[in-house]
Amino acid sequence: MPARIRRDGRALNEEYYVSQTALSSPEAPAEGRIPGNKGIWAGILSEMTEFALLFGVYFIARAHYPEVFREGPARLSTLAGTLNTVMMISGSYFVAKAVHAIRQNRQQSCLRWLLLVLLAACGYLLIKALEFRWNLGHGITGGMNLFFTVYYYLTFTHMVHVVWGMMGLMWVMVRTRSGAYSPQDHDGLEAFASYWHATDLAWLVIFPLLYVLH
Amino acid sequence: MPHEKLLDRLWLLLVALTLGGAWIGEAAEPGLAVTIVISLTMAFKGRMVVDHFMELKSANRTLRSLMRGFFYVIPAVTVLTTLFGDWLARLTTL
Repeated sequence: MPARIRRDGRALNEEYYVSQTALSSPEAPAEGRIPGNKGIWAGILSEMTEFALLFGVYFIARAHYPEVFREGPARLSTLAGTLNTVMMISGSYFVAKAVHAIRQNRQQSCLRWLLLVLLAACGYLLIKALEFRWNLGHGITGGMNLFFTVYYYLTFTHMVHVVWGMMGLMWVMVRTRSGAYSPQDHDGLEAFASYWHATDLAWLVIFPLLYVLH
Repeated sequence: MPHEKLLDRLWLLLVALTLGGAWIGEAAEPGLAVTIVISLTMAFKGRMVVDHFMELKSANRTLRSLMRGFFYVIPAVTVLTTLFGDWLARLTTL
């Protein structure tokens, strides 16, 4: 394959779907392609950089105040953190299933999986709201010490990314319902899926750092 | 293994690892060994999502390297902060 085409995600995507349609078994993406589009990856890499900086703050703060960071997680609700992790992982799984469904030209199935993503996202927000209320009931505020400052910064930032993702989710649900995606053309759905997975990845670091690691 | 079946099994595995991680956080005595287990679990979960849910295993090499790299660096720094926290604190003191 010429290098010019290998660097071009769209060209590879089209080639992949032509070949996969011929095989009638869309199982795996083509080598070297860009899932979704380049624009969403600029956003995803910015998001990961933002979280990397926040994790850097966490590590430096932990190094300066090890005792505070050892005691902090024990005061948080492990149940809330665990349930939110299950919500994020499940949401990511449902998105992957939705992409798989559209590749098989099963639009109704795709829409049902996306609905499950929405439920997981709403579950995440509900648990977060209950957790913050529980925190306040136990006198846990961002000003208590540096652990809780970092905790609120990280979890609020992550929550904002989930809300942005939910807006994108509702858009791709409308597009799916209107029949805009097909096995040959679903870059928009893949772009959303990639963003949602990235938001899940950020949480997969937040959970152990804030709730598990004593 | 078909892609769809792989997704199903990974989901169950990731949920199981999450519950295991929560149990470790509640029951295990804090220490270096626990920190290493938690960091390895974090690295594994991230790698699985990057490779299979995000489908970067066979995708663009730069994106794959960057996303995989995130889950090499953060777990490694987690362990290093436990081991060399004092040094990091001195390095970052104004």
